Amino acid sequence: MALADPLGAGLPQSDRLRAFGIVALNGMFDEMDANGVLRQAVELLPGDIAIVSSFGADSAVILHMVASIDPGLPVLFLETGKHFAETLDYVETLSRHLGLTNVRALRPDPEDVRRFDPNGDLWETDPDSCCHIRKTEPLDLALAGFGGWVTGRKRFQTADRGVLPHFELTSDDRIKVNPLAYWNDSDIAAYRKAHDLPEHPLYAEGFRSIGCASCTSVVAEGEDARSGRWRGRNKTECGIHFDVNARIARPLPVAEATVFSNGRFIADPWRDWAEGDAADGVRYTHVPLPVFLEHRETFLKNPHPLGLLVAPGDAIESVAGDLGRFASVAIAFPAFTDGRGYSTARLVTERYGFVGEVRAVGDVLIDQIRLMRRCGITAFVVAHEPTRAALADGRLGDLPVYLQPVGRDEVPVGSRRFLRRAGPSA
Amino acid sequence: MYRYDEFDHGFVKARTEEFRDQVERRVAGQLNEDQFRPLRLMNGLYLQLHAYMLRVAIPYGTLSATQMRRLAHIARTYDRGYGHFTTRQNIQFNWPRLKDVPAILDELAGVEMHAIQTSGNCIRNVTTDAFAGAAADEVIDPRPVAEIIRQWSSVHPEFTYLPRKFKIAITGAPNDRAAVKFHDIGLMASANAQGEIGWAVHVGGGMGRTPMIGKLINGFVPHADLLAYLESILRVYNRYGRRDNKYKARVKILVHEEGLDAIRDQVEAEFEAARGGVLTLPQTELDRIAAYFVPPEFAEVATEFDLEVERRRDPAFARFVENNSFPHRQPGYASVTVSLKPVGGAPGDASAEQMDVLADLAKKYSFGELRVSHEQNIVLPHVAISDLRDLHAGLVAAGLATGNIGSITDMIACPGLDYCALANARSIPVAQELSRRFADPARQKQIGPLKIKISGCINACGHHHVGHIGILGVEKKGTELYQITIGGDATEQASIGTILGPGLSAEQVPGAVETLVDTYLLARASPEESFIAAHRRLGDAPFKEALYGSR
Amino acid sequence: MKAELDIVTANELLSGAVVYLGRDGALHAGLAAARLFGPDKTAERDALIAKARASGRIVGIETEKVAVEAGGVLPQRLRERIRANGPTAPYGPERQDLGAPHVSL
Repeated sequence: MALADPLGAGLPQSDRLRAFGIVALNGMFDEMDANGVLRQAVELLPGDIAIVSSFGADSAVILHMVASIDPGLPVLFLETGKHFAETLDYVETLSRHLGLTNVRALRPDPEDVRRFDPNGDLWETDPDSCCHIRKTEPLDLALAGFGGWVTGRKRFQTADRGVLPHFELTSDDRIKVNPLAYWNDSDIAAYRKAHDLPEHPLYAEGFRSIGCASCTSVVAEGEDARSGRWRGRNKTECGIHFDVNARIARPLPVAEATVFSNGRFIADPWRDWAEGDAADGVRYTHVPLPVFLEHRETFLKNPHPLGLLVAPGDAIESVAGDLGRFASVAIAFPAFTDGRGYSTARLVTERYGFVGEVRAVGDVLIDQIRLMRRCGITAFVVAHEPTRAALADGRLGDLPVYLQPVGRDEVPVGSRRFLRRAGPSA
Repeated sequence: MYRYDEFDHGFVKARTEEFRDQVERRVAGQLNEDQFRPLRLMNGLYLQLHAYMLRVAIPYGTLSATQMRRLAHIARTYDRGYGHFTTRQNIQFNWPRLKDVPAILDELAGVEMHAIQTSGNCIRNVTTDAFAGAAADEVIDPRPVAEIIRQWSSVHPEFTYLPRKFKIAITGAPNDRAAVKFHDIGLMASANAQGEIGWAVHVGGGMGRTPMIGKLINGFVPHADLLAYLESILRVYNRYGRRDNKYKARVKILVHEEGLDAIRDQVEAEFEAARGGVLTLPQTELDRIAAYFVPPEFAEVATEFDLEVERRRDPAFARFVENNSFPHRQPGYASVTVSLKPVGGAPGDASAEQMDVLADLAKKYSFGELRVSHEQNIVLPHVAISDLRDLHAGLVAAGLATGNIGSITDMIACPGLDYCALANARSIPVAQELSRRFADPARQKQIGPLKIKISGCINACGHHHVGHIGILGVEKKGTELYQITIGGDATEQASIGTILGPGLSAEQVPGAVETLVDTYLLARASPEESFIAAHRRLGDAPFKEALYGSR
Repeated sequence: MKAELDIVTANELLSGAVVYLGRDGALHAGLAAARLFGPDKTAERDALIAKARASGRIVGIETEKVAVEAGGVLPQRLRERIRANGPTAPYGPERQDLGAPHVSL
């Protein structure tokens, strides 16, 4: 289904971020732009985001970035009670080195420990439960106060993390941010070298992914870095990361931020239908209306988010009953002088009640955008530079009132029958 | 008259400010001409041969004395002391400077006027009967509905980039003086079986290179449903009108190619979905707008007027009364048409001084109200018969007393190649020469009602297709030629003129018109049979033969 | 001797007045100052047109055929003669004056 509307002002930051669209966020940054991702997260959720760090082998890199953006950002360290002594030392030295001012140690509930791990061997008999009381529970408690959190996870770390995106929405509606998602071992090493960051004392001894002393072993040359964790057990995640939600988008290739939506430019998660695309497998693709009609049954079985591309002259009536299947309807304006799209937009939104994104593509210029908005178009794919500049500056040039009723959201003004002004969501 | 409220003022002010910014960006070089052109056209600013031209909207041709005085002020201050009233009931200034245009728009906004939608592929200024609200034969005053249509169509977001321009005309009288059947939509007052008044809707009329008479798509649309019905037509046109060829892009071509029944089916389907919705016009809103158009407080005045006495005393005044006054529904009153067709003049042109005089006389004798007629004259709608003599004296002093309304010299002519960038041939010199040739009032009277309409190109701004005698300027091998058509009629008996033969030179045109007139005078059944009536009876043949011989 | 040549003409941005590309490369109000381009100068003429158009400081620019007769320049098209001399049925002064300031010359 479509991303919900719009950025309502007045919503909590995390809601704004969610409304803004995780899908869109994931296309916004260059794969390697960890700093950009982090800065975006801190800006979007000011005072409402923390970083969770194990102070492991690679933690220095992300913490260095945090320190450069906001040294006061809460850094949550899971003091499981099972760490190497070297790790605890490293917490001290690294925090001091980077100037981090808000490192918080999260300890397990003593009552839980007494009840479930009285002998301290739970890690051996039931590692999942051990992780639960020493990591998941304390973290859940701490994160209750935050709208989002930053991790140092990297997709190269295990095969399962191969699809790790920059931004995720967790099942409890938090934003999880993975600035290093696309980094690999040598990127980390290079960064550490470039910034002369202190190394975890155990790194030199062959530890690559460092957790609790009880569950971490040395990784051999060529082995998956995390294979040293829970070695010999069928376990790869400790539970705190194992909630990747179905709503999370596949990370998208880096694109220019060409879509103007909800008052700002974002990267476009959508792509055009291309020759050779498969009706049953495409996702985040605007399918031309005639193509959709030709393979309608297959498209309706396709489980992925799909969009519809409506060209001037396409009979929107022919898909009126199927519009609910689409997350986005793109209306083509091959030339700004071709005004057929305005009628299409009004039919889609006013007559057929479509509530998803309606975007204008093609010859989209500033002097037409206000008309498009009134006809129900909410997003604009803009290539024209002066138009981009005008939009970025908020120069929409809208009229104070409209003399005729159009659209779903306009509100009556005064006592004149047909007088309207822009509604709350415009 | 309609008066702007705060919202109308804010609306027009915002548009003016926006254009001021666009002009500044253009002059500063931030916009190039390709980017600026559509923006200036949306504000009525064209580039013609010698200079810019600003077309100012006069909604349904209605002006107050204050507004007319402001037009005079603009002509004097920003232009060359005159303006040109058009067949679209607008006024055009021929010499404004680009940097002055925002100031001109400010001046206009100050008197509740603007230049929005006088150009571009949008819904243009609504036009109507120049005698609306005054004519004795009127069934209903069309101005409240015209005003409602004006508001609905102002910067309508769905219909700003139509396939081509779109013109709506409306009349509340059975005798059509607004040429409604030659507009994209023509509305005529009609009654249903219960005797309620509503609107007969004609669609697909127009002139240009493919003249068409509008076809009746719906014989009765109630007031309440009119906007929904109009929006339905516009949506069908916007979606299906041709965009591949600008000469085939008007709704008349769509109706012609698809057939009226097919278009009606589509419009009715849209209307079914729209009817009863947000565009429904309640009687209270119609009443609210109609309140702006209540008749003035007419005085109890003498209703007697002895034309015979006046004829002996002052033949020019008697002729003026006979030709230039029109029956008013209020006893003792008349509507007076002030001719902008003096002998040797450019049809529709008025000087700033004349505009001021018209404003003064309107204030004195017509409750401060004026109209621009689509035949390029100015109407004072409510004049007491007892004031006619004083009014006439005032007009004489300003050179505005030509008593030729409805006569052969009351011609329509476009600006033609003297001004217009699109024209192929001149119109004004042809009109001037004809006005001299037929200057004798006695001859005009002998000929009776005869409408000559002159266009300088196939776009037909001079309405030549519906002239009893039409003259179309064309260009052939670098010289101007004029095609003569006959039998056109813009009224409810709409007809399109037929071309009589090969084009003539400018020098031959007055002689050719004389030949046609003489043919008529010889062939008419009686002095009461008008030129167009005689043509309907006789057909083209005798005229064609007289002009070109029996080839 | 009657030679058929081209002139280059446009309208000035602020006034809309008719202007001509002159022998000095600037735009001028009078036809008499217009540079005449022979058939061998087409490339140069087109380059000048492109340059003027790229400046964005004029409104429309076109070439027009003229004949040179007895020392005078006569545009071949009536439309162009009317542009050069003003309306043939004038109401007031004949041509738009450029006024000041203007931006295109």
